Amino acid sequence: MEVEVDEKELKAAGAEPLTDGRHGLRIHGWEIESRKRSILSSSNTELWEQKLQTCHMPEMVFGDSGLFLNHVKSGATIHFNAFDALVGWKKEALPPVEVPAAAQWKFRTKPSQQVILDYDYTFTTPYSGSETIKFDADKLERGEISKETGNLHWEDCKEKIDVVALASKEPILFYDEVVLYEDELADSGVSLLTVKVRVMPSSWFLLLRFWLRVDGALMRLRDTRMHCSFSDDANPIILRESCWREATFQALAAVGCLRNSSRFNHLDSSLVDGVFIIQSFPVGIPMSDSGFGYPYVEGLVKKITSKTLFKTKRHRSVVVQAF
Amino acid sequence: MSDLDRQIEQLKKCEPLKESEVKALCLKAMEILVEESNVQRVDAPVTICGDIHGQFYDMKELFKVGGDCPKTNYLFLGDFVDRGFYSVETFLLLLALKVRYPDRITLIRGNHESRQITQVYGFYDECLRKYGSVNVWRYCTDIFDYLSLSALIENKIFSVHGGLSPAITTLDQIRTIDRKQEVPHDGGMCDLLWSDPEDIVDGWGLSPRGAGFLFGGSVVTSFNHANNIDYICRAHQLVMEGYKWMFNNQIVTVWSAPNYCYRCGNVAAILELDENLNKQFRVFDAAPQESRGAPAKKPAPDYFL
Repeated sequence: MEVEVDEKELKAAGAEPLTDGRHGLRIHGWEIESRKRSILSSSNTELWEQKLQTCHMPEMVFGDSGLFLNHVKSGATIHFNAFDALVGWKKEALPPVEVPAAAQWKFRTKPSQQVILDYDYTFTTPYSGSETIKFDADKLERGEISKETGNLHWEDCKEKIDVVALASKEPILFYDEVVLYEDELADSGVSLLTVKVRVMPSSWFLLLRFWLRVDGALMRLRDTRMHCSFSDDANPIILRESCWREATFQALAAVGCLRNSSRFNHLDSSLVDGVFIIQSFPVGIPMSDSGFGYPYVEGLVKKITSKTLFKTKRHRSVVVQAF
Repeated sequence: MSDLDRQIEQLKKCEPLKESEVKALCLKAMEILVEESNVQRVDAPVTICGDIHGQFYDMKELFKVGGDCPKTNYLFLGDFVDRGFYSVETFLLLLALKVRYPDRITLIRGNHESRQITQVYGFYDECLRKYGSVNVWRYCTDIFDYLSLSALIENKIFSVHGGLSPAITTLDQIRTIDRKQEVPHDGGMCDLLWSDPEDIVDGWGLSPRGAGFLFGGSVVTSFNHANNIDYICRAHQLVMEGYKWMFNNQIVTVWSAPNYCYRCGNVAAILELDENLNKQFRVFDAAPQESRGAPAKKPAPDYFL
């Protein structure tokens, strides 16, 4: 984001931009960097297919793009990348979602003469971010830290992300949105994994979002938010909140969320509209018999800490899954 | 200077025509297109172009690399509209060139040249935004129904937007299709515009979506043999390097939208065939940001929650 951030504003917040052409900033012991690169070349795509042991990849994999939040003192980095997300997709391995035209096609296809591919072409992933810790060899030697205590761990906690505070128009010192992967589902909708970040003088906040629209069939939204206030730089606490929602077009139409399901296209042709619709879907009632293979899941609001640095607390909040 | 030449000059500057001009242009184009075969014969030399998707300034790069029409003969494999910011100007420029130089440029239909798809992926909204009504969208989508379905270059290279169909084994079967309709949801015409080659199947495969065919190497071998053609040239799928051969050079994908959707960072390609059908791929980059007068590339910071 080439925003003209006032240098004075950065200075006043104790932040400085990253150097060497890197995009991001240092603030309160964090180094926050976004990278936006091209989609993978054909040869790299093949390499990833081998590593992931799959023959299928999203049409656009921004394999070298990512978001990195490095807590310098602890060496802990929270980061977001397409590869780990696709590992999650491969592992979850949902059954495919049929498009409306599939009903007609059943009459013309002859399974005996055709191979029916059955992988999850929507690339739905449970991914909620990656973590790595760079061990400081010296500290390890002096016994100041140990490998066991060096891991980040998330615990359920009672606190929630303070959306009221986040809604205040504090200056944004750094903002970016990074697409990790995207697929047009052969013009049958969209599958999109992105991460957005904004850094203010008092905290950083990010949203990792998997968004899926299979036209005429299904919308699915999987959000993970993280918030870290700069109030305690030595022991930062990160709140993580995940929320999954999904609904069939049929279910959305039944409760009037789609004004007219046959004209689905305009209502949800953009991410913003689609997300708005699905967020307006009445929550809390799992409409079962969906056949999409989801249990009713509770979403979690979690806190992250590593023992040497972060404190831990638990919290649970109800999440919504509608089919 | 004729009205048409003036319109072409105007469109080359990315300025859309008046609604009444679009209507007249579409009527003239209809008279030309209706005469074309479903398997339109094309003579070499010719330059083959894949998807453009409304990326007008990148299409201007394409013409810089490939040469201006009518000096260079062109075959466009469809998907002129949707996704990019300038579907209207892109399609109208191609259509105006078609009317002005009917023998110098061939336009065949892609799966985006459809009423249904353009309502989802941008062209409809763009027409509404630029003209305040959907009339231009109506004129254009009516013209889409007249676009040919495929082309045959010197009887040796078969060109189509998507790929093959299990319902079609010979070119004569394509010739008998009544194409003047919205792209159907299934059947041979649908497959020609929608299907994809796929490495992991040898014969026919069905997409996990439950609709859409995939075809393997043996299907292409049989088709090329039965129709006595050297190879198939198609578009429809993004390729980072601009073009991609498959199945021992029996089929090639050509992709002509560089930096697709203004963010993929891919290069684009066109395939130049000389009078002896010798091939040369010309690879090109997206237009420089400053020359495109495009909406700001990056969004303003947003107080997302």
